[in-house]
Amino acid sequence: MSSLPALRWRSMPTDAIAWREWDGEFVVRNERTGSTHLLGPLAGSVLQILLEGNGALSIADISAALGDHPAATAAPDRCAAIDAVLSEFKRLGLAEPDPR
Amino acid sequence: MSFVRPDPVVLALRDPAAMPGLSLPQWETLVRQARRTSLLPRVALTLDNLGLLQQVPPAPRIHLEAARTLAQAQAEAVRREVAFIDRALAATGVPVVLLKGAAYLVAGLSAARGRMFSDIDILVPQGALANVEATLLLHGWHTIKTTAYDQRYYRRWMHELPPLRHISRQTVLDVHHAILPITARLKPDSAKLLAASRPVAGEPRLRVLAPVDMVLHSATHLFCNEDVGNSLRDLADLDSLLREFASEESFWPRLTVRAGELDLTRPLYYALRYAVRLLDTPVPDRVLGAAEIGRPPTLVRGLMDALFLRTLQPNPASNGVASLARGSLYVRAHWLRMPPLLLAQHLAVKALRREEQKAG
Amino acid sequence: MIVADLSPQELLRRLGGAGLRLRTGPVLNRIQSRLPKIAHGVALHYADHAVEDSAGFADFHVRVAPPRSLRRWMNPQVHFQFDGARPFLPLPADQAFPILEWGLNWCVSSHCHQYLIVHAASVEKSGLALLLPGPPGSGKSTLCAGLVSRGWRLLSDELTLLDLGTGRVVPLPRPVSLKNASIDAIRRFSPGAVLSPPVHDTVKGSVAHMKPPTESVHRATETARPRWIVLPRYECGAAPRLAPLSRARAFMHLADHAFNYDVHGRRGFELLAQVVAGSDCFDFQYGALEDTIAVFDDAARRV
Repeated sequence: MSSLPALRWRSMPTDAIAWREWDGEFVVRNERTGSTHLLGPLAGSVLQILLEGNGALSIADISAALGDHPAATAAPDRCAAIDAVLSEFKRLGLAEPDPR
Repeated sequence: MSFVRPDPVVLALRDPAAMPGLSLPQWETLVRQARRTSLLPRVALTLDNLGLLQQVPPAPRIHLEAARTLAQAQAEAVRREVAFIDRALAATGVPVVLLKGAAYLVAGLSAARGRMFSDIDILVPQGALANVEATLLLHGWHTIKTTAYDQRYYRRWMHELPPLRHISRQTVLDVHHAILPITARLKPDSAKLLAASRPVAGEPRLRVLAPVDMVLHSATHLFCNEDVGNSLRDLADLDSLLREFASEESFWPRLTVRAGELDLTRPLYYALRYAVRLLDTPVPDRVLGAAEIGRPPTLVRGLMDALFLRTLQPNPASNGVASLARGSLYVRAHWLRMPPLLLAQHLAVKALRREEQKAG
Repeated sequence: MIVADLSPQELLRRLGGAGLRLRTGPVLNRIQSRLPKIAHGVALHYADHAVEDSAGFADFHVRVAPPRSLRRWMNPQVHFQFDGARPFLPLPADQAFPILEWGLNWCVSSHCHQYLIVHAASVEKSGLALLLPGPPGSGKSTLCAGLVSRGWRLLSDELTLLDLGTGRVVPLPRPVSLKNASIDAIRRFSPGAVLSPPVHDTVKGSVAHMKPPTESVHRATETARPRWIVLPRYECGAAPRLAPLSRARAFMHLADHAFNYDVHGRRGFELLAQVVAGSDCFDFQYGALEDTIAVFDDAARRV
């Protein structure tokens, strides 16, 4: 586990991220790094939530926004799954913890 | 004094307004020469800035636009890479001075427009070299030249770490502590360069050389460097820098004074001479007069004229004389950087390795 | 005028002199070589292709020639030259025609950034394009050669050119390269196909080229809309199996197999997204060419 529950996250600015979704899978291009990624349903939905979100969001915020999303309900430990996605986003430069 | 008739690509840089009048076979030669000298995107942008690009016939215009697309992609890649390097070295507190293309780009200079980029070059104090190298290795860069010979060559004799490649991004970074090797005959003082370096607007840590130093570095790179293939491109860089800095107050007097301080009067002499003759760079006569202090003996100058003008001619048809000239320049560039004994040894080893690679 | 209109002497004269200006789709190549193998290869494979005069604009100047060294007598080699530079190491002299083909591919993939270029074969039916991206050994060229022998039009064997504005495939009809067992497979499958004699011991094994069908050369200006993206996988003896591939994964495959995806940045992303959104995507496993035609003809009918 890499983040505390109270830590808030924000994605890269929306103009830096291009994405498409087909059948629950996402392809994402990050202008900052020049890299393109394939994201599964949970990761893609988390990214969407961060992109649409106003300001920084906590894991609890993201979990609430996911609601009944099948990828989230299927995960045995919902928060751990979201946390793992966020750690990966940090590594890929798609999102970062909000310093405040 | 006789000079060779300029090639189409040189004419394109000097007199772009004449370009739309070219015939298709003339465009064919121009595109080939410009591509060979990495100047195709610069020609494209020169024409575009004058609103002339749409007047170019479709077949050559496709190549100009394709080259421009490529150069833009390279510029974006350089920006990204500079950001990565900056982040990696931030905690060290070491002042990082960007050199050449990356510097022109980050500083917003016109020399960056339409330029092709490859490696990124930075200058750091010699004392910080070990720290910088260790930090870069931690952040995913690794050394490309792995033989003991190459390691020694770069570290002891040259003015840089062996080139570093980033493991996932595959970008190449050259870390210099001087702009010429320790063993070179000319001895520009790096501490002076670092001391005069300037911050970059909007960037807390990145720095670039002072304008006069940028010009002198470009001149030194052009006339003292191994890789003479990009000579015309380097001269075009110089032309851009000189035109842009000419409007800076006291740039010209400071240029010639600084050349004396840094022991670079010879490269400056050549740089101004060939920029004026080939690219019509507007250099005040008094500056050319002051630069005369770097003038070589007449016999040497005649030889250099023949060598450089042939080299700067991009003639794409493989031409025995041109390749001979290029070969001689390679030897000369090395000579300026390494004492003869080391040079012979180094060239012998380099030749041997090429053969090994061929046989393998 | 086409290559077949030139007498053998005239062909040799142009190749050995100022160059043969050969049109291949949107690209005009000036080819120079004094090697008989090049003249034979060009006469065979490019018979239907247009030859142009020197008043036009040639995109690439290439030459295939032996290196200037003593080696030319002991162990004959050939170089591919592009504007006097040599992007590849030399190869044995009997690989002269393959090195020309690889060199012409290199010219396009390195410079033609007016397109997004995917390392894929592509064929057309009813104005719709079937893209076959894949690494070497996947069987894409074999499948391509098989399909164009059975009514599909060849768009390209190696380099699928995507127009950045329209997203359509721009044809580049050139010889189809075949390797090893594929050479005999195509000979059996299509006795009428025109194949060069195989060249052995190349880095890819034995290599032969199949002349592009005349119609594909004549229709080189007709673009096609991408409609199917199929990742082929040849496995000896396997039954044909077309399995759906997610669009997102097909996108990643195209991006991975594109020569200049990074050059186009955001625009490249949008283009591939457009292509994928409009296409059905599949993995395709096959063991015999005979099985494959029906599968794709059927898909074309059902559109």
